[in-house]
Formats: sequence, structure tokens, C-alpha cells
Amino acid sequence: MKTRTPFKTAVLTVTWGWMIIFVLLPNLLVFSSSFLQRDELEFVRLPVTLENYTRLLDPLYGGVMLHSLWMAAVTTVVCLLLGYPFAFAVSRFPARLKPLLIFLVIVPFWTNSLVRTYAMKLLLSTNGIVNDLLITIGLIDEPLRMLYTEGAVIAGLVYILLPFMILPLYAVFEQLRRDLLEASYDLGAGRWETFVRVVLPLTLPGVIAGCLLVMLPAMGMFFTADVLGGAKNLLVGNIIKNQFLDARDWPFGAAASLMLTIVMALLLLAYYRSVKLIRRRGNDVALA
Amino acid sequence: MKFRSLLLCAALVLASLSTFAADKVLYLYNWSEYLPESVIEGFEKETGIKVVYATFDSNEAMYAKLRLVDAKNSYDLVVPSTYYVSKMRKEGLLAPIDKHKLVGFDKLDPKLLNRFFDPGNEYSVPYLWGSTGIAINTDEVKPGSITRWVDLWRPEFKDRLLLTNDMREVFHVGLRVLGYSGNSTDPKQIEAAYKKLTTLVPNVRVYDSEAPRMPYLEGETDAGMIWNGEAFQAHGENPAIEYIYPEEGAALWMDSLVIPKRARNVENAYRFINYVLRPDVGKAISEEIGYATPNMGSLALLDVSLRNNRTVYPNSMDLKNTEFQIDVGDAVKVYEKYWELLKAGRD
Repeated sequence: MKTRTPFKTAVLTVTWGWMIIFVLLPNLLVFSSSFLQRDELEFVRLPVTLENYTRLLDPLYGGVMLHSLWMAAVTTVVCLLLGYPFAFAVSRFPARLKPLLIFLVIVPFWTNSLVRTYAMKLLLSTNGIVNDLLITIGLIDEPLRMLYTEGAVIAGLVYILLPFMILPLYAVFEQLRRDLLEASYDLGAGRWETFVRVVLPLTLPGVIAGCLLVMLPAMGMFFTADVLGGAKNLLVGNIIKNQFLDARDWPFGAAASLMLTIVMALLLLAYYRSVKLIRRRGNDVALA
Repeated sequence: MKFRSLLLCAALVLASLSTFAADKVLYLYNWSEYLPESVIEGFEKETGIKVVYATFDSNEAMYAKLRLVDAKNSYDLVVPSTYYVSKMRKEGLLAPIDKHKLVGFDKLDPKLLNRFFDPGNEYSVPYLWGSTGIAINTDEVKPGSITRWVDLWRPEFKDRLLLTNDMREVFHVGLRVLGYSGNSTDPKQIEAAYKKLTTLVPNVRVYDSEAPRMPYLEGETDAGMIWNGEAFQAHGENPAIEYIYPEEGAALWMDSLVIPKRARNVENAYRFINYVLRPDVGKAISEEIGYATPNMGSLALLDVSLRNNRTVYPNSMDLKNTEFQIDVGDAVKVYEKYWELLKAGRD
């Protein structure tokens, strides 16, 4: 089994080369800059310091971080509430229609997400399409103020991130064996009980994967918060972007982005643990 | 044989690419919505030089980018504001302008030449100048009810204001309201302005320096800050939007064409500067984007209605109490600190 074909070597070299040059090195640069000091001309300079991290402990940034987590959490819950029934419904369609439906979920990716965010602006503004429609059909008299609110940012995040929730959920629903559901019914469980005790545990890995895929980017998507939220620094991503582009404080920006990475790593760890736990429990049940 | 012809083809493509890169391109880095499309097209048509156009929405972002790009990717022509011209000049980022290569420099308004930020205009050629004042939507706000910056603090404007996403301009408002200079370098005054501005934040709906006219046109904001040219354009689309020179004084600024030291296509940069210096081109720019041209030749060509438009060309009454923005030196760090606090603070 240990034979190395040239093809295999080439693939491995390319993959590792790619990972080292575009993932490892940039992250090392961010990591090391976060311990340096700000320099007006060269962006960073020695000596090594922990000042950037102590600055992060400032209640001000803690507040932004918490607020960012909150926005990301709401986005995730909304995506889950929309994506779960959707993925279930798609999995019940005839096999020849499924690829088409999933294809339709992916189609928006063909347009740049920044362009799609600007399109949301046209929909949500006071003189925008949604307000015009609601006024025309007589549902409201005064236009709703939707743009430049937290709600608008969440709507934008949900719009862009929903496919990342649907796809992993669809994958688990596809694997969900119909006979298990029938067995559950045969053994006297009602619809609700079958859902809670059979469907939910079996699809949980997909739920967690989808939540992670939505929650992690949601904290960093600064342009959504800028365009739809009025540049009011709603997400950690905005703080990081401002440090790099406007304040030119790279070390602090690097520290902030490293903190975001750590939070994401912790969430991934929690995911890994929970999947293991679910598997073990599954085995216990099977053995019992 | 096949292989060789393929190689030849590749070589030809590469060669054409490199001449394209060397002779026929101009990398232009400008404020967003600050140059009519038609001017770029006219220049390209006349000279055969392709303009690669990139935009920024703050001096800070422009400066960071310029610091970052290496010699192989640098821009050929950039349009910073006065206080960044002086900063970049001091730091040796700019190439001196050879006046012998310029045609029409003598037509520029002497009042706008040889200023504090670049004595003798060694490094910069004035492009446009304008002001940051107040815009109101007269459908929502009674005309005449707002005459001063401090009026923006009124509780009726809760969630209805626009501020530009520009540190120096926003602090100009805070400082002038307290009676200080918008170019203050005194940390105590800057801190006081910050404290004053925090009480304005509940009224702020959006910070925008990309196209500040848009939230007024979209109906999102009723009043707030705006640049005069954006107000001019907004008024053209919706006459209810009016520009006001606040009593405490608008912020005046000027943006100039500069050639970075690392520019690759210097000759093309000169050709573009000369193109813009032509009276008819300067006229076209001022007409379309609504800022004042420093070119007296263009001024003479302007339509009387635009020449007398106070939004674009203020009279001496409008200019009362106004200040030109200047470099604040190291005090910029104090501004930066409070700007970040102002924007990151939650209410």
C-alpha cells in the first residue's frame, strides 16, 4: 500500500504547498503581528508586547464581541428555522427533482455576495420595493424603516448564509432511513415523539455542522454590516477591517482577528466533542 | 512544430501584455464618484491609454493602501486631500511635479496654489475643492429651521441623521459646536468634542462616505452632514434636498492630483493631469459632480446658473467661519482613539 505514484506525489505536493502558502503562512503572519507594536511607516515593529491583547479586554471591545455573537446567534437560529423544514421537504421530493432543487439553492452563489447585499438595499430602503408594495396593497400607510437597522443586517446575513445551513441538513436527511421512521410508528410513537426521539437525534450532526457554517462567517461579514447597517460597527469583522484599513493599527487588528479564530476553534472543538458523544450514545442504544 | 508555434503564441501574448503594462495604462486611484465616466472615456479615446480606475472612500484607506502596494503594483496618480498631501510629502511618498511638463497650470486660481500643505505646489496639482456642510430634506424638515451644526442634536432627529464616515469631518462638527477650531491639536478640546459627539450618536442612522447623497434620496435620513457636490447631485434628483452652510462654519477641503514616488507610468500621469487641466474638461467635471473647479479657464466657461449656484460656488457670506482642513500632526492619534471609541460605543 505504500507505493507512491507520481500522480499521488503531485497531488500531495500541490495540496500541502497550497495549505502552507495560503493558510499556514498568512496565519503565522497574523499571529506574529498580534504581538508586535504599531508603526506609522512599516505597520509593525518590535519589541514584542501583549498590549494588544490587554486592549481587547477593554469592556468596549467585549461589548462589540458579545453583540457580534448575539447577531450571529440570531442569524443562525433564523437559518435553522428556515433551513430545517426546507431540507426535509427537498429530501422527500422524487429523486429526479432533487438535483434541480439543490441546484437552485446554489445558483445565487454565481453572483458576488456584495452585489447581492446592495440588491437587498434596494428592497429594504424607505422608498424601496418592499415598502412600495406594502403601501400599494394598502397593508401600511407609512413606510417601514428597515434599512440601517440590526434587523436589516440579520436579514442580509440570513440571505447570504442560508445555503450553508441547507446543504449539510440536506445531506443528513438524505441518509435518514425511512424504515427507522416506520419502525417508530409501528412501535406506537406519534409524529411528535418520532420527531423528537428519532429524527432529531439522527439529524443532529447536520444541524450542528450547519450552525457552525452559518455562525462563524456571520461574525466576520463586515460588508453586510457596513452596507445594510450603516457602518455602525456592529460586528467584530468591522472592528478588524477598520484597524487594518482606517486606523492602520495592524497589531491590534491581528489580535482581534486571532481572538475571532480562537472563538471559532472552540466552537469547532465543541462540535467535534458533541458528534463523538452522539455516536457513542448511538452505539450504547444499539447495544442495549 | 506544433509545440514551437504554441510557444511563439505564448511569447507574443506575453510581449503584448508587457508593452500594454509599460506604455498604455494609467493606474488612477480616486475618491468614489469623483470623476465622470465621460472624462475617462474621452482621455482613453484621445490618447489610447487605458485607465485602470480604482476608488477609495477615506483618506485613511487610501493612505494604507498606498503604503502597502509595492513598486510592481503601485498607482500612477492619486487624489488625496490637503492634509494627506502634506503627510505623504513629508514621508517621501510623492514624486515632485515637473511644472515644465504641465500645460495650463498657470490657469489655476492663485488663491488655491502655494498653500500651507504644499508650498510652491512642488508635489500637487489642485483637482477640485468643496465643503462639508448640512443637508436637509425639506419634505420632512421645515426649511430655515436648521441653520447651525448644533441643530442636529435636536431630539426630533432621533435615528434620522447621516454623518460622513470621516474622522476629521465628524470631529470638525464636534469642535466647531464647542467653539474650537476644526483643526485643533489640543487633546482636551478633542476629548470634549468626542464627549459632545457621543450625545449625537443616538440621532445617527448611518455613516456614509461612499455616496452620502443616497440615504437622503432613499428616504432614510432627513438631515445631517453631506459634501456640497453630493448635495448638488441629490438636489438634481430630488429638489427637496437642500444644502446649508452652518453658522459655526463648514469644513473646507481641497483634493489634489499627486504622483506617488513608485508610479510606473509617470508620463501617462502627466498626460492625464494635462487633460484635466484643460478648461473644457475641468468644466465637464465641475458640471457633472458638483464640486468647485480651481481652474479659472473652466470657471469662465461655466454656465451662469452653475457659476451662481451657492451649493457649488459659495459666496463670501457662506464662507464665514469656514476653515480649510490642515494636517494636525501627531494629534491625529488622539483623533483616531476617540473616533474608534465613538464608533464602537454602544448606546
